Amino acid sequence: MSNFSIIGKRTALIDAAEKTTGSGKYTDDLSVSGMLIGKILHSRYPHARIRSIDTSRAEKLDGVVAVAIGKDAPNPFGILPVGHDEHALALDKVRYVGDNVACVVATSEAVAEKALELINVDYEVLPAYFDPEESMKAQADFIHENKRGNLEKDYHHIFGDPEKGFAESDQIAEARFIAGEVTHAAMEPHSTLASFELDPHTGKTGRLTVWSSTQVPYYLQHKLSLVLEMPMQQIRVIKPLVGGGFGGKSEVIPLEIIAAVAARKAKAPVKITYTREEVFWAHRGRPRTIIDLKTGVRNDGRITAVKARVVQDGGAYCSYGVVTILYSGALLGALYDIPNIQYDGYRVLTNKPACGAMRGHGTVNVRFAFESQLDELAGTIGMDPAEIRQRNLLKPPCITVNGLRVQSYGLPACIEKTVERSGWKRRKGKLPRGRGLGIACSHYVSGAANSIIRSDMPHSTVNIKIDRDGGVVVYTGASEIGQGSDTMVAQIAAEALGCSLSRVHVIAADTDLTPIDIGSYSSRVTFMNGNATLRAANEVKKLIAAAAAKKMNCTPEDLIFREDVVKKRNAQVAGEAAHAAQESPTVSGRVEGQILRGSLQQKRKEEGPKESMSFEEAVVAAIDFHGALTGTGSYAPPPEARGGKHKGGGVGPSPAYSYSAQVAEVGVDEETGEVTVHKVWAAHDCGRALNPVSVEGQIIGSVWMGMGQALTEEMVWKDGMLMNPGLLEYRSPSSIESPDVEPIIVESIDPEGPFGAKECSEGSLAATIPAIANAIYDAVGVRLHESPFTPERVLAALRAKKKEKTLNLTEGVDPTSPKRFREHGGSLCFKGKGPQRHALDPAHTHAPASAGGAD
Amino acid sequence: MSLPEFRLLRPHTVDEAIAVLAQHAGNIRVLAGGTDLIPSMRQKLFEPEYVLDLRGIAELRGVRVRDLGRGTPLLAKEARNGAPTSEVEIGALTPLSAIERSSYLCEHYPVLTEAAATVASPVIRNMGTIGGNICLDTRCLWYNQSLAWRKGCGFCIKKDGDLCHVAPGGSKCWAAFSGDTPPALLCLNAEIEIAGVNGTRRMPLREFYPGDGINYRKLPANELVTRVFLPAESAGYRGIYRKLRVRGSIDYPLAAVAVAMKRTSSGNGVGQVVEARIAITAVNPAPTLLMGVSELLAGKNIDETLAEAVGGIAARTAKPLTTSALTPEYRREMIRVFTKRAVLAAWN
Repeated sequence: MSNFSIIGKRTALIDAAEKTTGSGKYTDDLSVSGMLIGKILHSRYPHARIRSIDTSRAEKLDGVVAVAIGKDAPNPFGILPVGHDEHALALDKVRYVGDNVACVVATSEAVAEKALELINVDYEVLPAYFDPEESMKAQADFIHENKRGNLEKDYHHIFGDPEKGFAESDQIAEARFIAGEVTHAAMEPHSTLASFELDPHTGKTGRLTVWSSTQVPYYLQHKLSLVLEMPMQQIRVIKPLVGGGFGGKSEVIPLEIIAAVAARKAKAPVKITYTREEVFWAHRGRPRTIIDLKTGVRNDGRITAVKARVVQDGGAYCSYGVVTILYSGALLGALYDIPNIQYDGYRVLTNKPACGAMRGHGTVNVRFAFESQLDELAGTIGMDPAEIRQRNLLKPPCITVNGLRVQSYGLPACIEKTVERSGWKRRKGKLPRGRGLGIACSHYVSGAANSIIRSDMPHSTVNIKIDRDGGVVVYTGASEIGQGSDTMVAQIAAEALGCSLSRVHVIAADTDLTPIDIGSYSSRVTFMNGNATLRAANEVKKLIAAAAAKKMNCTPEDLIFREDVVKKRNAQVAGEAAHAAQESPTVSGRVEGQILRGSLQQKRKEEGPKESMSFEEAVVAAIDFHGALTGTGSYAPPPEARGGKHKGGGVGPSPAYSYSAQVAEVGVDEETGEVTVHKVWAAHDCGRALNPVSVEGQIIGSVWMGMGQALTEEMVWKDGMLMNPGLLEYRSPSSIESPDVEPIIVESIDPEGPFGAKECSEGSLAATIPAIANAIYDAVGVRLHESPFTPERVLAALRAKKKEKTLNLTEGVDPTSPKRFREHGGSLCFKGKGPQRHALDPAHTHAPASAGGAD
Repeated sequence: MSLPEFRLLRPHTVDEAIAVLAQHAGNIRVLAGGTDLIPSMRQKLFEPEYVLDLRGIAELRGVRVRDLGRGTPLLAKEARNGAPTSEVEIGALTPLSAIERSSYLCEHYPVLTEAAATVASPVIRNMGTIGGNICLDTRCLWYNQSLAWRKGCGFCIKKDGDLCHVAPGGSKCWAAFSGDTPPALLCLNAEIEIAGVNGTRRMPLREFYPGDGINYRKLPANELVTRVFLPAESAGYRGIYRKLRVRGSIDYPLAAVAVAMKRTSSGNGVGQVVEARIAITAVNPAPTLLMGVSELLAGKNIDETLAEAVGGIAARTAKPLTTSALTPEYRREMIRVFTKRAVLAAWN
């Protein structure tokens, strides 16, 4: 159907070879001469004032070059302009176990670790808060002095008339859902190498170069500039290969600032690589969330109103928190047609590592609750769960009640295809006991229409330069983090210029070389950087076309660029095209290029004007004509897509939304509570699949990650200590658990996306959790309201349903109707007193005045 | 996390190893596969001055059988197919993957190969050894953590501290023994060979584990486990290993059960239970043989009720505590279910 030569083809990622052979360089693989190693001293207490820090013994240790502390860089920072509440190293307070206190710079990791043991920190331990609902009641000892009641931010939105909507409904469901806390667990731990130029005469530090495993080089450059009080132009941020981010590297992580502060103090390059435990402390994952959800439907299946109260256990710093709590409410809209919405969101501070953005940012936990409740309501009114979703579709183009503009909308096709492929109508409710099918839908933004730094600057800019031999260099700020952005950029440039993919070389994410792109987060890169690339390529193409048209005695509009040939429309040049394509990939090198040019000119003189030119010939003509061949393109979301004017209305709007529907087939062992996911049919509307193999990889990865959150992954706490800070005890699924996933690509061709493309890397995740929950219900008739659905929770629910002898499998909490947060996740239950480290904690002293993590 | 500094000693014979071990007793750790020791050293659970790397001792590698009256033991793969007429010897350094893949062991001692195949992941089974799995340190969530973590939490009784977070007030360590192969070996009545300065001695494996989380094995600091022996009488027992874990790979057992069962053979098939041995792991500080099982099952045909009764014995023997993921109540319940299922599977 398509008339494309590059896009839409299954294309191996352009960095696949270096990654798979091990030759590729990640940040921790890098070293520069004179480089030292930094190690961070972390807080032992969840909440304490620092009375003093004595680093003198550590400094005297042989091999220690410097010890940096908070005073060395007192300026605050944070990813959001409203959330500048972090310091590179603690100034006067620590707020979670793992908070950053000091950094030793030494000649080796072992020496640095020894020196950490020699730093004396005098702490005054403060009451700590672990349960968000308790934390909100605090009267004193706030985690941040300016956040009364430990409330980071709350929002209260009413769209339409929810009360009227509920009055018009025939059935109402109301329940509490709790989703456990999860983290990204990217394979590559965070790593940063910071190196200052030193003036050989004065010894003063000059320009700073930072190599870092980041999704957001530009923000890192910006925050470094704030903290170090250096102009941005004096700072160069380079992103080497990144081994996965999933949002965990989408903001400035403390080590990135600490490495630079330490390098400045040590006057030497410093590299810090987190241990896996430190990665867990840096966290920025998905917060534990309480969702009190009420939904009303009519007997014909139409949703009349939704009311959600969401409390997020945000950890000790703002991070992306304000955005997370807004996404949780905003993306109640734009999936279905919901006329009346009430949303009350509370982002609460607690003495635990900060939560931030994680794949499906803000939407996932609320989607779990919503899709579960919708399933329940379908049962109540006796309607097929797939049908109730089809009864509530939007009718785009439209603007939702909460101000979100929806244009392309592939949800109907997604539902239709998963239902068809899974044999839903034939098999649902008819599988043998212990087997079940469940359906759920989800959606996500293709980039935020409003950037976190309020400005009118484009969100992406891309430059393209073409050399005389037809080599295309694309300079993009987009951060390849394994999702395939470099390949996407190369594909779009090649498609637009009509040249082969092998001609395109991508230089990405180096702030000295590449124009600004705000980063790889909120699934914005294909849509925004892709559009910028397309515009840059079209600009260069115009220059080439003008020159080529002159040579070919025609107008630029008459020319077609395709497969390394520039030809007149309807020209017969099949033979020449094949010849050019054969030759082109090998043509390289300056000398060769010049010889080639000479011979081409000779040839052209002999032949006169012709019907077609090879890509190089056209490029040479253009360079001869224009002097240089460069183009630039940028992208800013259109004003119509930027959302409503209400407070917090800036978060949620996107130029386009992706859509997903999934059917999961699970088996439940009724004697053990173990859940096995046998198959997931996952349809995703990505607008247009620029690289189908990449889209499928993202769909499968999302399902797999969603399944981890649904069944096994959970951060478990005791007195603010993370009990499972490693990949052995934090259980991401292994390949054995990976179900058969059938990815189904739906192409709705978005009017504004590059070649119609939208996001594909996050939207699918949110559907997986409720699809599994609904399948468990179908299999054994229990509806779990608390995730993950660990075997003891499933078994407890089954036993309660069968009214069997109750065994206290889940510490007294009914997973089908959880009432409260427990300080630990519940996969572990602690009856012991624990370490009793915090004598002042209300949990231990039962002081009536203050409230803490009463467990 | 850096590895603490140590001197690596690499002997080539058992005698050399014993001499080195005796010389540095108390300040040396033994490395067989290293899959548990190395991470533990990074966590600073052990900071020995010396590490004794046994991997150069070729004689401790391989499965050997004395083939029908011949004197010299043969490697299992060269042995004839018949059942062993005398005991089978497994070198302590034999990788778990070699045990898992040994068709000889699979045929005659299936409970062992089944258990070995569940250890961690394929990569770890290539490194990890049977001797290492027998000597595996007990595990606890409050113990298997980094130095910074343990310091922040407060050191526990097993390492550097004086209280137990799992059972506060008690003075006993409840860290759980979490090896997969020892319960299988217990079911096979295996013996181990221990080498020391005064020569070698043999000990039934069931006497090796005293049941304390700290002093979890009877192995003086100057001695090594060098071989495992499987008696010929245990050959041909039906074998089943069932392991509770969250993931199908990588995880240590959270509760597991091994069953070895022999049934009478009559002209037209098999009959009643002659003998059955069942051992559980990961729910006590020691892998534990269930008492009274053979008495209960001998001479009987197994049905659901009988299997249920054995499950009850297992649940009463297990003392799971909050040393690992999943609640103790759940793990106790699963020991019951898994034991019942394993008994039925061994019977059928």
